[in-house]
Amino acid sequence: MKTATIALILAIAAIGTGCSTTNERSRNLADPSVSGKTLALQVCSNCHGIDGNSVNPTFPKLAGQPVEYFLVEMKEFRNHHRADPAGFEYMWGLSRSLTDRQLDELASYYAQQRPIEDQPAEPQRVSAGKIIFDQGVPVKNIPPCMACHGAEGAGNGKFPRIAGQHADYLVKQLTVFKRTDERPEGALMETIAHDLTPDNIEDVSAFLSGHSPK
Amino acid sequence: MKVAHPLLRGLWFLSVLLAAGSAQAVPSYARQTGQNCVACHAGGQFPELTPYGRMFKLTGYTIGQRTMPLSTMGVLNANKVKLNDPAEGKLQDGSLIFNTASLFIAGKISDNIGGFAQITYNNYDAQNSDSGKWTGHTGADNMDFRYADRLIDAKRDLIYGVTLHNNPTVQDVWMSAPAWGPATVPGSTGTGAALLPILADGLGQQVGGIGAYAYWNKTLYAELTGYRTGNGIFSFMTQGVNNDHGPQTILKGVNPYWRLALTREWGAHNAMIGLSGLDVKVYPDPTDLSTPTDHYRDVGLDAQYQYLLDPHTLTAQVSYIHEKQNLEANLAASNPADTIDSLRAKISYVYHAKYGASLSYFDVHGSTNNNPDSATRGWTPEIFWNPAQYVRVGLQYTQFNRVNGLSSDTDGAGRSTRDDNSLLLYVWGAF
Repeated sequence: MKTATIALILAIAAIGTGCSTTNERSRNLADPSVSGKTLALQVCSNCHGIDGNSVNPTFPKLAGQPVEYFLVEMKEFRNHHRADPAGFEYMWGLSRSLTDRQLDELASYYAQQRPIEDQPAEPQRVSAGKIIFDQGVPVKNIPPCMACHGAEGAGNGKFPRIAGQHADYLVKQLTVFKRTDERPEGALMETIAHDLTPDNIEDVSAFLSGHSPK
Repeated sequence: MKVAHPLLRGLWFLSVLLAAGSAQAVPSYARQTGQNCVACHAGGQFPELTPYGRMFKLTGYTIGQRTMPLSTMGVLNANKVKLNDPAEGKLQDGSLIFNTASLFIAGKISDNIGGFAQITYNNYDAQNSDSGKWTGHTGADNMDFRYADRLIDAKRDLIYGVTLHNNPTVQDVWMSAPAWGPATVPGSTGTGAALLPILADGLGQQVGGIGAYAYWNKTLYAELTGYRTGNGIFSFMTQGVNNDHGPQTILKGVNPYWRLALTREWGAHNAMIGLSGLDVKVYPDPTDLSTPTDHYRDVGLDAQYQYLLDPHTLTAQVSYIHEKQNLEANLAASNPADTIDSLRAKISYVYHAKYGASLSYFDVHGSTNNNPDSATRGWTPEIFWNPAQYVRVGLQYTQFNRVNGLSSDTDGAGRSTRDDNSLLLYVWGAF
């Protein structure tokens, strides 16, 4: 009996060390030889979707995000500077051992994916949100989103794509900017979000989630 | 350090848990992925899995990076049965006791292989019939070792693997599976003394199973597992279990279990509906394998729903199992052909992964000629609080409406169903 048990353990150990699949299907986050695309498919897809269009709004859509923005955020997770709860609960650990090359490959993979917008939200909120997106809130000196995020919200350099993003994610992140210092890389947004009312935040998020750049 | 009073012992235990947490001592899977418990456990209510937690398990516990694969778990509780049996002592009189402690060896072994092995010390394992004193014992608990691979690209997603485990349905990733729900809190009253279908009880840590499974496009799950007696090559998964509890259950040959599940995610919602079945032959006398066997055929229907969007976590599970028994081999059975039907359901809500409540319903009964009739029915409301992600404090009340197939005079000596009602306070921590 004992011999059989030892044989089983040895067999498992042998399989474990010798019969692994190639790096093309690895889920090892501490192996620099695994490509970013492999990690995107084997690991990131569990929450963000195979093509970067996540299903659950807890997780942001990554499809079509500008490379520069993606890299800034991943490095902020990796060095523990971005400290919003959803960020550190899910992303600090996953990013801790990724190399710059892997991050570049991940950024490139997601930038090439086609974003898919959500279903249109309540028309009244969408209309009010479009005004904020296009014109800002002049009486409070809040600039329009399009000024930095692009005329259609498709993102630009270090400014993320916000068109088609989950409304719930946008609301939560705008609230993080408005109320906390948990995203130091987005200090610019702290000033902008500071005077947005909860209704403003709901409206602009409702507009953006269903918006698809032409 | 010697602390005599049970309450002081409990407080000391809690303080150790909290101190361990502040030192960032977390279970090994969390160390492996670097993520918080809520990533894998719905609303932080371990062991219930999120969609990501299910993928972590189905891909063989291999996401992340290899770390020290050791974790521990401990449970303190106080259980008060309304009209307690004095012979059961501290298990029923409301005393705060250190109930169980577990060691987990769990984590990634290679890119394709990982495991979960729990070894548990039960502080109240057996009772000396003369002195009434309880003695503790350590034995194998739930174990699941996997090899898994994933073929995934823009057009397909296929996870497939092999699992080696020691408890039917412990390999399942949905909490409606009998091994996981709804009475997962150690020390829970569960369904009382009801005789459950063999799929839900009776074979844990008695058997060894090897199964193959596949999960296609996050939509269809299929599994086929064969169980045999947990001896010989499988004996490491049953060690110490039968120490004070009679001989090991002996199965005849390899016994099949099958499982199908359909799943879907939309927005913050996800749902599963599944079927399962177990066909098993058991020797009525494990010391005499020259006899015919008793034959149990179980078919289960189960479903699960989750809504996961911070700060809300809402989950619901239901499981119905129908068992056909053919006990021709068991000469002691008064009714060779019998059935058992088990219905169990649970709904729970957690706010901010911190404050939660749940309500469970159970109805277990056999065919009319079932003798003895152990049918039970009742409800279990519960409230709980996670002061930290690795500690849960809860209060659970179990109310019986039917005991031993009766709604009154359940022991023939005037005992009412209410007399079996119980209140359980627990502190459950892992680090």
